[in-house]
Amino acid sequence: MSSTILSVVSSVVIPFIQLFGVYVIINGHISPGGGFAGGTIIGASLILYRMVSGSDAARNRYPYSRLIKITCFSLLSYGLIKGYSFINGGLDLHMYDLPIGTPGNIFSGRYLLPLNIFVGAIVASVMYFFYSLFSEGEI
Amino acid sequence: MRKAASVILTLCIIAILLVPVSELPEFGSENSPAHNYVSKTYLEEAMHETGAMNIITGIILDYRAFDTFIEATVMFAGAMVVLLLLRKEGEDNEQHYS
Amino acid sequence: MERLIANYVEVCAIMLFGVGFMTLLMHNNMIKKIIGLNIMDTAVFLFFIAKGYISGKQAPIVVGKLEEASAYINPVPTSLMLTGIVVAVSTTALALALTLRLHQKYGTIELDEIIRLREA
Repeated sequence: MSSTILSVVSSVVIPFIQLFGVYVIINGHISPGGGFAGGTIIGASLILYRMVSGSDAARNRYPYSRLIKITCFSLLSYGLIKGYSFINGGLDLHMYDLPIGTPGNIFSGRYLLPLNIFVGAIVASVMYFFYSLFSEGEI
Repeated sequence: MRKAASVILTLCIIAILLVPVSELPEFGSENSPAHNYVSKTYLEEAMHETGAMNIITGIILDYRAFDTFIEATVMFAGAMVVLLLLRKEGEDNEQHYS
Repeated sequence: MERLIANYVEVCAIMLFGVGFMTLLMHNNMIKKIIGLNIMDTAVFLFFIAKGYISGKQAPIVVGKLEEASAYINPVPTSLMLTGIVVAVSTTALALALTLRLHQKYGTIELDEIIRLREA
């Protein structure tokens, strides 16, 4: 599927879609949205790029080894950070915690921003894997 | 024969399920037993203890973060199984280092 | 009987559940059965989320100043069903992948033909 209109228009539109997805993820604790909705938006932009430019260009720009490393690292980091936070609060150890800040800033809440980013990365990568495996059989 | 049996079975199930619905509290009423002290505590303490202005994000990423972790694991496991089932052969021969 | 008209959202959820169930039973095609399963999932989500609504209150997002706890709707059913929606997506993807492998092995996706081919 490679006509000139689609290539030119999508090369203008895809950066805006990804910027909007990043905005929804980062402002997940202030406005409606969060990790899952933002991750789906970024995954949809990856699928659009693969549809328009063909699978060779998509395999050069988003290689399989990088995506699988990002997914596994995000899942393990989510587990480690939340496990540390639970043990620190449950046993009253009072070791180092991120500050709570004032509600309304972006860097507020203890671990809300890193956890939203990790969940968004996992959802976006899984959506892209589903599309490319069902349509062609290789990533 | 099969289609008649399935239609009768579905109508029986819908009728059996509609009997308790006629005894539920009204849609949108204030004093139903589903709104008890749990939601009241979540609404009052969430902004003070977690620092989130979106109360639902504060619930799913701070009070019940373990459920979100298991859900991310389920999504990851589903992606791994689909990868195992649908990947073509001959793709792995290119990435082996000797 | 008047309660059934007042609780119209729950009645619609159960009708949707019946529609999905009949789709699961009546067709022979595997993909239509999987669509029926997905419709039943959506009906259960609608029923559960409708239990958290209180008429006249606002959404649980703090705008400006935190009001008292009786000015918001119940936030618990929404956050519990967020997990369920993701699990439904994963289940549908897995079922469709298995259907693709069935088609590669037997050449058809009608269920009675597959059963006949396996017994022969």
